Amino acid sequence: MLELSNITLGHFILLSCVLFTIGMVGVLVRRNVIVILMSIELMLNAVNLAFVAFSRHHNLADGQVIVFFVMAIAAAEAAIGLAIAISVFRKFNGVEIRLFENLKG
Amino acid sequence: MDIYPIVFHFFAALVTISALGVVLMPSPIYSALCLALTMLFLSGLFFILDAQFLAAVQLMVYAGAVVVLFVMVLMLFDLRNENQPFSGNWRVNLSKLGVIALGFILIALPCTYLMKASNSEWLQSRGLETKKLAELLFSKHIFAFEVVGALLTVVLIGAIALAKAKGGTHARTE
Amino acid sequence: MGKDIFEVGINLAKVAVIFLMMIQAVPLLVWLERRGSAFIQNRLGPNRVGPLGLLQLLADAVKFIFKEQFIPGNAAKFLFLAAPVVALIPAALAFTAIPLSIPIQVEAFEMLGKSWGPYTFQFQGVKMDSGIIYILAVSSLGAYGLLLAGWASANKYSLMGALRASAQMISYELGLGLSIVGILMIYGTFDLNAMIDMQKGPLQFSFLGSEYVIPFLPNWGIFYQPLGALLFFICNFAESNRLPFDLPESEGELVAGFHTEYGGFKMLMFFMGEYGHMMVGAGLVTTFYLGGYLIPGLTEDTVRTLIATEVGAGTVANLLTALVFHVSFIVKLALLLWIFIWVRWTLPRFRYDTLMNLGWKTLLPWTLANAAITAIVLYFARGI
Repeated sequence: MLELSNITLGHFILLSCVLFTIGMVGVLVRRNVIVILMSIELMLNAVNLAFVAFSRHHNLADGQVIVFFVMAIAAAEAAIGLAIAISVFRKFNGVEIRLFENLKG
Repeated sequence: MDIYPIVFHFFAALVTISALGVVLMPSPIYSALCLALTMLFLSGLFFILDAQFLAAVQLMVYAGAVVVLFVMVLMLFDLRNENQPFSGNWRVNLSKLGVIALGFILIALPCTYLMKASNSEWLQSRGLETKKLAELLFSKHIFAFEVVGALLTVVLIGAIALAKAKGGTHARTE
Repeated sequence: MGKDIFEVGINLAKVAVIFLMMIQAVPLLVWLERRGSAFIQNRLGPNRVGPLGLLQLLADAVKFIFKEQFIPGNAAKFLFLAAPVVALIPAALAFTAIPLSIPIQVEAFEMLGKSWGPYTFQFQGVKMDSGIIYILAVSSLGAYGLLLAGWASANKYSLMGALRASAQMISYELGLGLSIVGILMIYGTFDLNAMIDMQKGPLQFSFLGSEYVIPFLPNWGIFYQPLGALLFFICNFAESNRLPFDLPESEGELVAGFHTEYGGFKMLMFFMGEYGHMMVGAGLVTTFYLGGYLIPGLTEDTVRTLIATEVGAGTVANLLTALVFHVSFIVKLALLLWIFIWVRWTLPRFRYDTLMNLGWKTLLPWTLANAAITAIVLYFARGI
């Protein structure tokens, strides 16, 4: 089933799928909110890989431009996520995902 | 002997192993270091796809700044040992994994078809130059570029406002 | 890498030799620092071991190797042992991409009964098309060595030192990347070899349609971007944790910062990483602003014909020409490294908040202003 000597577009997309799945498992199974943020970064990177592979396949640079934007937005989102985690850590002295459920007031 | 499949499989195996390390390592610092390794090997994959500028930007932005930020925050929290890294209730976990596996198979099947039906001629031509990327960025996607710039400014201010402690770093909010 | 086994072998050996060259320059730099600092401070440095004290580092290296290897009790053992290596790798990777001299053309020759064709060997570790972007990307990985060392030492003060050091490093990476935007706009390429090619000949530029040639000055980057050169040089001080940005390893304040718990050979590897970063920074300033390996007034062909009258044209003449230009590169590098050492023993250290203020509130606006002014001048000069 797996073709080993010809590297086609399917190989890159399968790898992107695998990485996305691993990231999604990380988001659903881990309790530490920082590890959840890291798994989200992993999912975004899987999508970046798919974009670059498609851009090379069709020889259009638009895919790479989109990757550029995705990188900028992912970095921004990681910064905000970490800022929220720091605020919660100050209050509850822990960053488990259970502590983020009590948003009162 | 064509070296491209060997390089691809080498990087692909390393990326998968590091990604599994991110999700499965109990200590969050080791998880963050595995994420840095994943970014490094993904940058290698971008490099063999002839996207050299993006490979370097991936290293600079992700591995060199975002993951360093994660590691710094984790070191400030000083969370060495997690008492329960994975959420309990193995039945719920198993059902989650089952659904994800089903979704993965649904998407991976067309990929295996693509793998057998095409060849590697798409890699023979020269890749795109950075100049093309720059031309597109500043002509067709200029609006998105400016909006992302404004977004980054807003995020900068927001992150500082969220993480700033009132009254200095040793104040306690009651 | 190469077409046949000779070329592949020589290219692999070249990467190893250049890495070893970088490592072997560290004892010389430490000797220069110790004697130079002694000269500045009006005392004698080490002058007993060997002539002029040159073998002092050999004695120190032997001492380091025989020291006891200790690991603190609570330390994360794998990370503790891996941190010095991780500190050395980015500097080594970045140094391989800097061109050290002209490419060597080897003529076809006979060996072992087979004729090996004409080759061209680049006088650098690896020729990268995306030269400067690759070097910036790899240098940004230098923050990991500090963080791992501070975290794995199981020492509160090492951790504080590591966090301050990595915050300093990522703040000044911004200045580093932005300060070369001006020179990238002028040369229009990332490739370091192409940049050096564009710095040949006398200073000539076209402004508003007419050509100006100043014959007694070389076409180096520093005449086009003096402010950018200064800003880049300053940011390199911060990237290699040298005084005045010495806070991470401030002797006398934090004991030794992030490498407090390291002794012996592991600490030597941290120093190799720091001097490696210094050499990469000095090499980059030479390549962008001082014309790389070029000699002002002499072109490659003049030197080659001069040497060919002595030894006859062919491979040996090409090799000797490359060596002449390499010596020129090393002279410029040594001058910049001496300035690094000179500044270290002259200026006092920045405090953490003044350091951050300098990075974000002073250097960043200046680099942006430099880029904007360069863009405006280029617009009017080239009429783009």
